[in-house]
Amino acid sequence: MNEIYFNVDAGYLEGVVRGYRDGLITAPQYLNLTQCETMDDLRLQLATTDYGAFLQNEPSPISTSTLVARCTDALVAEFQYLQQNAAEPISRFLDYITYGYMIDNVILLITGTLHERDTHDLLDKCHPLGLFDSMPALCVASTVQELYSTVMVDSPLAGYFRECLSAEDLNELNIEIIRNTLYKAYLEDFYAYCQGLGEPTASVMGEILRFEADRRTVNITINSFGTELSKDDRTRLYPRLGNMYPEAQTRLARADDMDQVKAILEQYSEYKSMIVGVSLHAPADGDGRGAQSLEDRFFGKEVQLNKDAFEQQFHYGVFYSWLRLKEQEIRNVVWIAECISQQQKDKVGSYTAIY
Amino acid sequence: MAAERDNVFPTRMNLTVTKVRLRGAQTGHSLLKRKSEALTTRFRVILRKIEDAKLKMGRVMQNASFSLAEVAYSTGDISYQVRESAKQATFRVAARQENVSGVLLPAFDADVHPGPGQFELTGLGRGGQQVQRARAVYTAAVTTLVELASLQTAFVILDEVIKLTNRRVNALEYVIIPRIENTIAHINSELDEQDREEFYRLKKVQGKKKDRAAAAQALIDQDAQHAIDDGSLPADSAAARNILAEQVDQDIIF
Repeated sequence: MNEIYFNVDAGYLEGVVRGYRDGLITAPQYLNLTQCETMDDLRLQLATTDYGAFLQNEPSPISTSTLVARCTDALVAEFQYLQQNAAEPISRFLDYITYGYMIDNVILLITGTLHERDTHDLLDKCHPLGLFDSMPALCVASTVQELYSTVMVDSPLAGYFRECLSAEDLNELNIEIIRNTLYKAYLEDFYAYCQGLGEPTASVMGEILRFEADRRTVNITINSFGTELSKDDRTRLYPRLGNMYPEAQTRLARADDMDQVKAILEQYSEYKSMIVGVSLHAPADGDGRGAQSLEDRFFGKEVQLNKDAFEQQFHYGVFYSWLRLKEQEIRNVVWIAECISQQQKDKVGSYTAIY
Repeated sequence: MAAERDNVFPTRMNLTVTKVRLRGAQTGHSLLKRKSEALTTRFRVILRKIEDAKLKMGRVMQNASFSLAEVAYSTGDISYQVRESAKQATFRVAARQENVSGVLLPAFDADVHPGPGQFELTGLGRGGQQVQRARAVYTAAVTTLVELASLQTAFVILDEVIKLTNRRVNALEYVIIPRIENTIAHINSELDEQDREEFYRLKKVQGKKKDRAAAAQALIDQDAQHAIDDGSLPADSAAARNILAEQVDQDIIF
């Protein structure tokens, strides 16, 4: 029954987003990009894509950091257009998407406040998608205590903070733990919200978010080996959802090395194929990108899932998927640009192509 | 230049002094020459090492900045976070001194505190492995940099010292020693000249004395002849005269 009324509110936006999707760089275009010898060539190639307009006014020797900034500008402009034209409940859905960026921004500001830096400079570094109205007010707070009690409660993230962190935690916990705790709360909340939206959004988004949760679980497990993070703390950072929740998570929580992680992942058909031929041990020497890493496989899988989201109609997942694909695309472009500017052309192929 | 010599008074004492100086200069010259050779050998070794280190650095730095690009690909921008969470240096440089033939060369040692460091949790949710790898690669890169810095400093200082030593060696060889030798030759020739003068003078004095003695004898002989002619003295008596008794030589005093 959703399908009948879907186009009333969301038809236009879905059309726009599918149009955006067609603007994504395709495999032949990627091939052209990888053939470039200089950054100017790359720029010329990019001029035919959606980024062309944003790169137009840059002075000629373009650096990769400017490229990132301009590409992000392009992404933000498109997303904001969607936001401006959105009505309930899509606007709410779009807001949910931005919460992830907000978490990063807030963490950035907390880091600044903890080290007593002038947080005004940090506002520029914040991701534009994660800006919210009371954001500049965060800079007023000089102590973490103040930050928590006066400002954070007004932000959209207040719920996540209230649930899992106290003001003391902000001072004592490692900033990464705070970030992951918040992100976990966000994922759970977003998942619950998507399930409440009904089919087919629930199933499409559910799949993507479950994968995201699994990916975080595996990553946190792998990255916490050999660090001060205790196994209990590790368990607490796992999102309470995903294909691996709860059974495999409890086992991952007890895992001590890569081989155990591998053994656990092998029991899941969707991940079994991913870990085949992947060296789970991070090579210590410089050229680690020879073989595909697990991270690359995760990126590939994410792209696959997000592409699948476009196969269905009448659901909100396309907005999320488009944003993720676009982000991946920016990463790809930047990767290619880095390879070109650093003259490491042999590794240029390890981007994750989308279409 | 070769005609230059020290302005000394040509005496025997100065000759001895100058000869001692010559010996000193020659010893100094051979010592400095050996020092310069030792330094040059060392210099060549360092030069080779620098070449290797520079090539290696090019490679390592490329790797390092590329691993940072990998981090950017998988994790995003973490620079601020890493900067803020770094509280204690895990990589320190210790300086010590090395003695090469009397030249003090500063040498730098990288002192890496093992362990994951303060930002071990960075990228926990995403790309933590890449972050740690970038960290390892950069540690290696900085180690190479320190190595290179050490070599480069040694290179510069050694270069300076070798130039200085060579300058001294050359100065000794081409200026000081020839000048001292010239001085010695000069003193010797002056002394010889003095000797010859003295000899000639003595000869002259003796000649004069001989002339004078001959003139006096001639006078006496004349008187005696007069006396014989007068008949006041018999000719044979004059002949039988005791010469030893009447001729008293003056003592010769030099």
